[in-house]
Amino acid sequence: MLSIILLSVSGIASLFLGFNKSRSLLMPATLLFLLVALAVNLWDWNVPFTLSSAYNNGMMTVDKTTIVFSAILLVSALLVIPFSQNYIDRPQAQPAEYYAILLFALVGGIMMTAYDNLIMLFVGVEILSISMYVLAGSDKRNLRSTEAALKYFLMGAFATGFLLFGVALLYGATMSFSIKGIADYTNANVGNLSPLLYVGIVMVLIGVLFKVSAAPFHFWTPDVYEGSPSLFTAFMSTVVKTAGFAALYRLLAVSFTGLYDYWAMSIAVVALLTLVVGNITASHQHSFKRMMAYSGISHAGYLLIAVTAFQNTSQDAILFYSLAYSVATIAAFGVLILVADKQQGSEDFSAFNGLAKNNPFLAFVMTLAMCSLAGIPLTGGFFGKFLIFSSAFAKGGLNWLLIGAILMSAVGIYYYFKVVIAMYIREGKTEKIALTGLQQAAFVLSILLTLLLGVVPNLFADLV
Amino acid sequence: MVQNLFYFLTFLTLLSALMVIFSKNPIHSVLYLILTFFTISGHYILLNAQFLAAVNIIVYAGAIMVLFLFVIMFLDLKKESEQHIPALAKVAGVIAGGMLLVIFVAAFKSMQTITPDEASFNSQIGLVTTLGKVLFKQYLLPFELASVLFLSAMVGAVMLGKKEEGERNTF
Amino acid sequence: MKQYFPSDYLPLLVQFSAAAAFVVVTMIATHLLGPKRNSKVKDAAWECGIEAKGDARTPISIKYFLTAILFVLFDIEVIFMYPWAVNFKELFREMGSVIFVEMLLFMALLLAGFYYVIKKGVLKWE
Repeated sequence: MLSIILLSVSGIASLFLGFNKSRSLLMPATLLFLLVALAVNLWDWNVPFTLSSAYNNGMMTVDKTTIVFSAILLVSALLVIPFSQNYIDRPQAQPAEYYAILLFALVGGIMMTAYDNLIMLFVGVEILSISMYVLAGSDKRNLRSTEAALKYFLMGAFATGFLLFGVALLYGATMSFSIKGIADYTNANVGNLSPLLYVGIVMVLIGVLFKVSAAPFHFWTPDVYEGSPSLFTAFMSTVVKTAGFAALYRLLAVSFTGLYDYWAMSIAVVALLTLVVGNITASHQHSFKRMMAYSGISHAGYLLIAVTAFQNTSQDAILFYSLAYSVATIAAFGVLILVADKQQGSEDFSAFNGLAKNNPFLAFVMTLAMCSLAGIPLTGGFFGKFLIFSSAFAKGGLNWLLIGAILMSAVGIYYYFKVVIAMYIREGKTEKIALTGLQQAAFVLSILLTLLLGVVPNLFADLV
Repeated sequence: MVQNLFYFLTFLTLLSALMVIFSKNPIHSVLYLILTFFTISGHYILLNAQFLAAVNIIVYAGAIMVLFLFVIMFLDLKKESEQHIPALAKVAGVIAGGMLLVIFVAAFKSMQTITPDEASFNSQIGLVTTLGKVLFKQYLLPFELASVLFLSAMVGAVMLGKKEEGERNTF
Repeated sequence: MKQYFPSDYLPLLVQFSAAAAFVVVTMIATHLLGPKRNSKVKDAAWECGIEAKGDARTPISIKYFLTAILFVLFDIEVIFMYPWAVNFKELFREMGSVIFVEMLLFMALLLAGFYYVIKKGVLKWE
């Protein structure tokens, strides 16, 4: 709760820091803001800070789950920021704006994790989305970036329309915007639910599934992820996805537990479709960045399995998986940003040829990230998948989905290892890439987190 | 009296909405759209929804339409590029539109008129005062956070639209 | 409390129709009363005696659009102030100065944005 206030204020602060002549202060200041926000966020662990009821009339609740989700968002942002160095060093860059909008976007993300009222969900989704539309187009003179922003904006506005229409229908059926109020209505009127409610659920689900780029609503993802500057693609594919799943699970778990039979099957089908589309298409890509976009789609599929399973362990599985996925994705994008910068902006697999020769550290980071995304044991991704699959197994009756998911994981190994092969076996030369201290720290942190999650998963699994 | 007014307004709304689509000149389309907004505001007033009527005029007819006009001014309308639509698309369009019409007719046929519940009906629900009391007490937090939304939109607009010093103009 | 009904807008309707009627009547009257003399030279766009060429419709600068977008944002802010102002007295009695502070906070964030816009020179017209 306090972190939202803090992030809003620090967003303004970093905006005004931009009027300072020296740009070198901006990144450390933003990192500091984020660290403080993270500390404040964790400070709430035992006794959550809540505004008095005069200010917060059941609009949001902070509890341990939301704190962990917010912490994942903040850690993702912390890991992304060091890689903005090259991007903000361009003469036409506007770093103060980038950082300010990133901080504002996090406000929206945290709102999506902790909302109690659909209005809060809507405002949160809007803050996050509008910030991302702008950042996707932040490379103004690049046609692809502009195209990405426009595509994302048009499709996103359409999806927000669905979400809003769904919220209105839910209100029409239940006379309540509060997710607990909706739950009360559905529990009190079993067997006699308004048809508006069903349509409302479908529309809200479409809106949220669009934001997490699940399969029938994923068409925007590859173009937007590829066109946007890599820095913001990393942010988009981690923060937006985590916040989206936090919002989706919260809505389903609080409001629609009683209607599980109604929505579970459609989510399960969407999950399988997402997995198939994401993984199969990812294996055809020549561009590493586009492959990562499809891999982002496929990971939404894994997370949707946990949503379908809807067990006590599902939420933990989503938390764990989001963290493992975010850390690995950011590490991969970090390496991509550094490599593409040296290879005249090429983001193909061939850009990685022979990377290991002169940059063993970068190659190692990338390998570990790919292992984690593919779900190889001893990495966080493995236990993430394990937790999700075991929660679906405990549910029972989802074996067809599990078989599909395991097959698709095998496909995943193929395309994730394409880049590893390129780095270690293919011939090519990349000169030594110099890392800033912060970038090294971010890489080391991501390695540590990935290994820790993979070797001692209980450290995190028992947390919530 | 109210009913006649309603029919008149509805006629005007439909007419101007159709004119938005059918007029060749985009500027005329925008002007008809403004007329449509005004007549819709009239409907809101008939429903006793003051606030919606005011917002519709101030924001939509006032501000959004200015943006529409500007966007049209941006476009290069000199070339009269009559887009060629393939026959298949026309057929598909007719089929899709026809199906929508069927759905509308079906929905219209099974429509029931709902009369408001006399006990709980409150004719004053759409007033500005009613809204203010809810917005500034119960929905205080989203209201404050909406300012973050506006701020990030403002910064984004400036970031994308402002020409940086030293940046070349391409046209 | 006073109850409001659509019929309370009748004066507004009268005003509207009076305004519209004035415009229509004037236009028709000038059309009927004024003399009409058309010729090719008379109908040409006046350009200091030089022959008109090109189109008057050239794409305008993005600057106008930026101004318009900022206008929309502040317009929406005004929308929020409208129910606030109408209710201020009553809410002040109920909640005390909180009602004032909350709008101040909302304004503060937007004015921070406004300050940024001014400082950035967006409204500067060369």
